[in-house]
Amino acid sequence: MHIPDGFLDAKTAVAAGVLAATGLGVALRHAQHHLPPRRVPLLGLAAAFVFAAQMINFPVAGGTSGHLVGAVLVAVLLGPSAAVVVMSAVLVVQCLMFADGGLSAIGANILNMGLLGGAGGWAIYHGVSRTVKGLFGQVLAATFAAWCSTVLAAVACAGELATSRTVSWSVALPAMAGIHMLIGVGEGLITALVLVAIARTRPELVQPDPAIEARQTYGAVVAYGVLIAAGLALFASPLASRWPDGLDRTAELLGFKERATAPILAAPIPEYEMPGVQGSALATSLAGVVGTLIVFVLAWWLARVLVPHRVRGEGRESDTTGQGP
Amino acid sequence: MRHDFLDRYSRLDSPIHRSSAAVKLVAAMALVVGTALLPPSGPIPLATISLLLIAVAVASRVPWWFLVRRILLLEPFVLGVAALALFGPGGWRLFLFLIAKSTVCLSTMVLLANTTPFSDLLRVLKSARVPSLLLTTMSLMYRYVFVLLDEAGRMKRARASRTFSRQRALAWQTTATVVSQLFIRSSERADRIWAAMCARGWR
Amino acid sequence: MCSGVEVSAAIEVRDLCFRYSDGSPALQGASFTIAEGECVGLVGPNGAGKSTLLLHLNGLLPETFPGEGSVLVGGVRVGPDTLMEVRRKVGLLFQDPNDQLFCPTVWEDVAFGPQQLGLDEGEVRGRVRRALATAGIPGFEKRAPHHLSAGEKRRVCLAGVLACDPSVLVLDEPTSSLDPRGRRELKALLRQIPITKLIATHDLELVVELCSRVIVLDGGKVEVQGPTIEVLSDEELMLRHSLERPHALRHVHPHGPEASS
Repeated sequence: MHIPDGFLDAKTAVAAGVLAATGLGVALRHAQHHLPPRRVPLLGLAAAFVFAAQMINFPVAGGTSGHLVGAVLVAVLLGPSAAVVVMSAVLVVQCLMFADGGLSAIGANILNMGLLGGAGGWAIYHGVSRTVKGLFGQVLAATFAAWCSTVLAAVACAGELATSRTVSWSVALPAMAGIHMLIGVGEGLITALVLVAIARTRPELVQPDPAIEARQTYGAVVAYGVLIAAGLALFASPLASRWPDGLDRTAELLGFKERATAPILAAPIPEYEMPGVQGSALATSLAGVVGTLIVFVLAWWLARVLVPHRVRGEGRESDTTGQGP
Repeated sequence: MRHDFLDRYSRLDSPIHRSSAAVKLVAAMALVVGTALLPPSGPIPLATISLLLIAVAVASRVPWWFLVRRILLLEPFVLGVAALALFGPGGWRLFLFLIAKSTVCLSTMVLLANTTPFSDLLRVLKSARVPSLLLTTMSLMYRYVFVLLDEAGRMKRARASRTFSRQRALAWQTTATVVSQLFIRSSERADRIWAAMCARGWR
Repeated sequence: MCSGVEVSAAIEVRDLCFRYSDGSPALQGASFTIAEGECVGLVGPNGAGKSTLLLHLNGLLPETFPGEGSVLVGGVRVGPDTLMEVRRKVGLLFQDPNDQLFCPTVWEDVAFGPQQLGLDEGEVRGRVRRALATAGIPGFEKRAPHHLSAGEKRRVCLAGVLACDPSVLVLDEPTSSLDPRGRRELKALLRQIPITKLIATHDLELVVELCSRVIVLDGGKVEVQGPTIEVLSDEELMLRHSLERPHALRHVHPHGPEASS
């Protein structure tokens, strides 16, 4: 999902860059203040791990294979700020050393995969794992969060392409979100398998870090929430609002907007104007909600398979109801 | 190390390699941003930039087939995103223009990566006041990615030599175990690196 | 023990005790002394506590002071306020050079120690150059660690430690994973460096070749210490501590004429 150079226009790249820089700044500040010094090398090694893990093949069908992105895995193991720093480092190195991901798109990529994928994914993980206790809850939460973060990042990516007028929203959203809903299943599955494997060998690595659970995290989390909301509002809601035009006007004021209108793109993208789109917007939203629920159920089932012993007091009574497990 | 191919040509001797990393980075940034922001137009601007890149590539003495291969490796992602533009109002012309623009930017970055050791780029970033925690993370990542890839390779081979079934589910389980081991070993290694840093006076 | 002039030993360990985080004992009252200029070998079976002991010499263990027993480096007791001084004086070479060589270029790695000491740029550069020369790898400044062989990495680690100007070198398994040539070269290198040395190793032949004295650590205690040939040629003693008599000493009787050299 690394966006290459040339697909984002100036205003989108700059807006995403500002959000990404702010988020990364918050993450660095938070990590510097709350990470114990002995964990500093762990960030670097985690970044190396993410890069190496991203290259490992999980065979799917024919010649294709799935790959781990790892944002939520790192967030579960090291916390939200570490995940943002680690994913940003990976993206910068991938961009500068391998030309993977455009230099002008680094802001958008960090926003999508670092902030949305890492911090956003952590938030979902945190919420679910606080509600459902134990390793079962952690695996369920991590699986679901990994899927969500993949889709979220894809939606933001589609939005960025759309606000750049490179691709129309009605094409980008179904394509990106659709494909990544499928890819996200792989991400969730791999994240779950790896997390369980780590928990089996070194359970203490999977335990929530008391330093991260401390109250000070909430300041950073609020900051991430604001940035993520801003990002989604800017890039992922052209159906609900006129933001791209607002963004255009702001960009004009600041001098970013290109003067020469492309002769190829003569007409403005129609779906911002047509009322008929409201119908399909509703349908898309419904499909998204249903899909999310299905994935949550699948994640629950997967966690049951991988973590066989449920928390005491849940489900024991079923033996006496006659309905069976 | 088996994976040093990832960094094979960045330390050659050529006028391009010898020039300052800061100059190369700034030039690459300017070229990439300028090209990425080009409005759709005739072929002349892109063709000119391409000729310039080819000249730099020749002067750098990096084998042309290596550069082409690295560009081709990443081209599918360009094609994939550009394909989405086919369904919009831009059509074929926008599609081709996007591919051309993106490939030129891609080639610039490939050239930069293969004429500049990453450690030099890190030093430029340091003088640009990039926060030290991020720099340390990237520096350690660069240093240990090869070590980890080697470890992962060895583990996969060891597993493969004791795998007698082609079941996909088993393959996934095995691979997930390799990934988990990779993280655990990385975590332990990070502890040892911490000790080594302290042993030489890290505060 | 000499009487008269009071010279502080390079290293003095007294009744050192340490437990792992799970409570199992690692060191149970280890005591020994290393005089200035000596080259001493530290041998023992796996799990004897060798690596744990070495980490105490640099103040990396115990994680919180005070521990049990004491370590003195050049007469200075290792404690929370002397850590920096001790770490400069004791140059510790880790078992896996990949753990110690953590910078992206050789120059940066060797310069790490002097920079942490707060030296100015010119002094740092001078130290790096001299250290690389002593380690036999002049001109390696711009090389990347992942392009180096195991032997070269070890030399870089040695240079990195030498650049801090230590008074004692402590080496943990220096010849492990080296090919015969790498081993020969490292041995020759160590012979040339006149600093006090403590070498923890399974390579008993190396101990015979380089060390005048040897300490046998087993079960967290110093079981035996004495002149190398005398200790290592005692087959019964060696086998009792899960070691064996080195091949070089197969014809030497423990109490014969050669043993007392």
